[in-house]
Amino acid sequence: MTLQAFLQVLASGLLMGLLYALIAVGLSLIFGLMDVVNFAHGEFLMVAMYATFGLWLATSLDPVVLMPAVTALMFVLGALAYFGVVRFAMRARTNVGMVQIFATFGLAVLIQGLAQFFFSPDYRSIPKSWLGGKTLDIAGVFLPLPQVFGGLISLLAFAGLYLLMDRTDFGKALEATREDQGAVALVGIDRNRVFALGWGLGVALVGLAGVVLAIFYYIHPHVGGPFALIAYVVVALGGFGSVFGALAAGLIVGVIEALAATVLPPAMKSIAVYLLYLGVVFVRPSGLFGRL
Amino acid sequence: MIISRRAALIGAATTGVLPVSKLLAQGTQEVVIGAIYPMSGSNAQVGVDARHALETAAEIINTANAIDLPTAKAAGLPGLGGAKVRLVFADHQADPQKGRAEAERLITQDKVCSIVGAFHSSVSNTVSVACERYAVPYMCADSSSPSLHRRNLKFFFRPAAHDETFSKGMFDFLDAQRAAGKKIETLALFYEDTIFGTDSSNTQRKLAQERGYKVTADIKYRANSPSLTAEVQQLKTANADVLLPSSYTTDAILLVKTMGELGYKPKNIVAQAAGFSEKAVFDAVGDKLDGLISRASFSLDMAAKRPSISYVNDKFKARAGRDLNDNTSRQFMALLILADAINRAKSLEGEKIRAALAATNIPGSETIMPWAKVHFGPDGQNPDADPVLIQYLGGKWVTVAPKDVAVAVAKWPMNP
Amino acid sequence: MTHRQLQLVLLSGVVIALAILPRVITDVYMLNVLVLTLMYAALSQSWNILGGYCGQISLGHALYFGVGAYATSVFYASFGITPWLGALAGGVISMLLALGLGYPCFRLKGHYFSIATIVIAEIGLLLVHNWDAVGGALGIQWPIGPDSWVTLQFARDKAPYVYLALGLFVITWLVTYWIEDSRWGFWWRAVKDNPEAAESLGVEVFRSKMAAAALSAFFTALGGGFYAAFVSYIDPESVMTFRFSLLFALPAVLGGIGTLWGPLVGAAVLIPLTEITRSYMGGSGNGLDLIIYGALIMIISLAKPEGILSLFHRNAKPDARP
Repeated sequence: MTLQAFLQVLASGLLMGLLYALIAVGLSLIFGLMDVVNFAHGEFLMVAMYATFGLWLATSLDPVVLMPAVTALMFVLGALAYFGVVRFAMRARTNVGMVQIFATFGLAVLIQGLAQFFFSPDYRSIPKSWLGGKTLDIAGVFLPLPQVFGGLISLLAFAGLYLLMDRTDFGKALEATREDQGAVALVGIDRNRVFALGWGLGVALVGLAGVVLAIFYYIHPHVGGPFALIAYVVVALGGFGSVFGALAAGLIVGVIEALAATVLPPAMKSIAVYLLYLGVVFVRPSGLFGRL
Repeated sequence: MIISRRAALIGAATTGVLPVSKLLAQGTQEVVIGAIYPMSGSNAQVGVDARHALETAAEIINTANAIDLPTAKAAGLPGLGGAKVRLVFADHQADPQKGRAEAERLITQDKVCSIVGAFHSSVSNTVSVACERYAVPYMCADSSSPSLHRRNLKFFFRPAAHDETFSKGMFDFLDAQRAAGKKIETLALFYEDTIFGTDSSNTQRKLAQERGYKVTADIKYRANSPSLTAEVQQLKTANADVLLPSSYTTDAILLVKTMGELGYKPKNIVAQAAGFSEKAVFDAVGDKLDGLISRASFSLDMAAKRPSISYVNDKFKARAGRDLNDNTSRQFMALLILADAINRAKSLEGEKIRAALAATNIPGSETIMPWAKVHFGPDGQNPDADPVLIQYLGGKWVTVAPKDVAVAVAKWPMNP
Repeated sequence: MTHRQLQLVLLSGVVIALAILPRVITDVYMLNVLVLTLMYAALSQSWNILGGYCGQISLGHALYFGVGAYATSVFYASFGITPWLGALAGGVISMLLALGLGYPCFRLKGHYFSIATIVIAEIGLLLVHNWDAVGGALGIQWPIGPDSWVTLQFARDKAPYVYLALGLFVITWLVTYWIEDSRWGFWWRAVKDNPEAAESLGVEVFRSKMAAAALSAFFTALGGGFYAAFVSYIDPESVMTFRFSLLFALPAVLGGIGTLWGPLVGAAVLIPLTEITRSYMGGSGNGLDLIIYGALIMIISLAKPEGILSLFHRNAKPDARP
């Protein structure tokens, strides 16, 4: 492989990794806050892509312009998912983890069915947009603009998340709730409100990723699956609940996946990512940056 | 519901005994045919389109149409006293076990006299075995794995080509281009890790060796991958004279987008249809595919020679909102060929329909396909279903090979 | 009569009722649903040994199912060895695999463990997908032959498969029943409730987990062997995907995790629901079947978090046994 080809694969891997991180961080946030693994995460990504597509059809505004609207919509959807589903799942007295897994799994199937019902199973895409199909050529290494944009959004989101967690009252409430769910009630924090905000935020983040993906990816009711699997691995690799871990792990997974496809038969490239996860947790059982 | 099922039961039970006119007098005769397709899951779009294609076919069978296609002229099937065709659809979700369960349900509960299916070759596999065991003909409309007709099944019929014939058509075209002085030395194979991709690439690899082409990239990728960047980078490095992709809609879109993003313009693409015959792909990335060549079971521009094609296409388009393509044309034609056999069998019994199917002899001109003829070998395969090659030029498909049906000379290379 | 004797009487009743069923129901489709229900009950019972009793939530049991299905198919299709032996061989291979994988994996806790099981099963899927000696993506077709209890091939008759699946369920039930009252069962519940405390009480936590994994994998592979014989054709996508791992856990969770009857009750609700919504609503292609199926899973798991079984005895908590 030439140096140029290597740099190309590396750059593509990094850009994809930033996107993986953005998809995963919402999952990680929700987990860190309330120990819930959300099996409908890929479906929220899919809904955000359809929302972008639908709004684009209706308004013919560029996806970039639609981003705030879609993100706000996803925030509301996340909060609703908490109030409508997760709140009840957390009431379970026994095997809470499994109940959550299967309640959100049921939600995932439901959302897929709804998507097929309302949008038909056709493969959609946004053929023309400001960024779509444009690419930066830096000395023979091509950086597609939609992915570059996605990478920037991802970095901004992580920076924003850092400020939010570190500097605001909401962040402190999140932190407190995460530390000790029983004690927060005593200091007058409304647990339900914090959780709902957490879900809203987590789903809004995957909504951002959905808008970016809608620019350069196809859209259909099952599009979320492969991304969700990667997101679970990213979250666990980085350490459940660790925001920085999700970023680091996303980048690592993106690069390893891209490089593996040049060494292994491409059909088996994911094996490298999976082995990496196993290798890391066998040495560090709580992921790269997780705490147990 | 209960009444009609009982009526159908009586109808089925008495066909062997009563003359057709008696049945007609009862007014209960209908021909129930099962259709098993993926109606949910990643390939649900194929199932929904198949539904439109088969319903178009049923409409043409059930009404009188002045076109030259089997069973089109009369309303219903004259051989069964004008009996109408009714379709029952079932969803197999790409799962061979579910496909078989649905086949058994359609045969035993809905009393279907034959079954059409199933897109996925893995599902066609189990469905055809179930049909064999119940002595009900299975019309394999669009599953293209060559292994399917090599299992000595008596009730399996495939009017369309399989992957070996398809690939042969593609290589015949390459040979002709080479003979015409075009430079074709290297090929790049790019295929998904499914039955379709495996069958397609195995044949292509073999043909490349036999006919003296060098395969410089042989890339099997995981279907529905989130990213194909590294794979496309390898294609770009190889920069073969012809890229031969075997991909479905999702990966076809991603492949073309990724090639664009990495600044790779393949010199030529000759595709194994699949995704490259789907409207969704051209809606998404059609601007990058001008000059793409695909093998096809169907070509709309043959309508100039056969008026039935535009007639059928208009009817299909009214239902589905898109033109007939490689899959939907095969599904449409399969039901007509089946109805023709049932009409000649003058019976709903599996054995008799099977015998009529085996005796099928429809000239190509009475199909909407480029086939020479429809007849079945002892293995149930139609040996004369040669594909054509069509090129996507200026937003339209043009037939470019073989010579006797071509309406234009291929633009070659696609990207100079 | 003690509580435990009562359970055995109950089992006898259920078995007799289910054994008579194929004589009463003649509809092939309904028998097919019955076969699947019993098969998933047995597989969920096997999953329950590790997931329910020992508390190690595996979402990768599709691996053992696939190994069982592939071992049985390769032995039969390539060497003509009866599926009875093939499935046993698959069981033993799976057991060894589970022990080998358990060694590193049981250091992991909670979701890290669950994700590891998913990932290992995915690796298995990809390897089989790309392994030409076992058919790769093309899968393995069983030769079509006459009906026989030796080859487990029955062309139209579903009753034999009902009995086989019922037999598999009874075996897994009896093993679970025996475990409940054995030293292993006591250890496993201790490991599930509080591994640190169990350790200090002298329970060999690691060995407990390994034993549960081996047993669970063995019976899951037998189920895979049965499925291969039942369908007579397998390919990687139809036996090794993540969907199966979920389907093994789901009945136990819906019925009552870590209980003797939970998997059967859960499967009896879930499998007919899945099959019938697809068969009678799926043909339209509008997704309504998915909407109903998804909503019902959600509602059941939210309304009865302790499992459907908790409807029957009010105070029963799954781990209430001493």
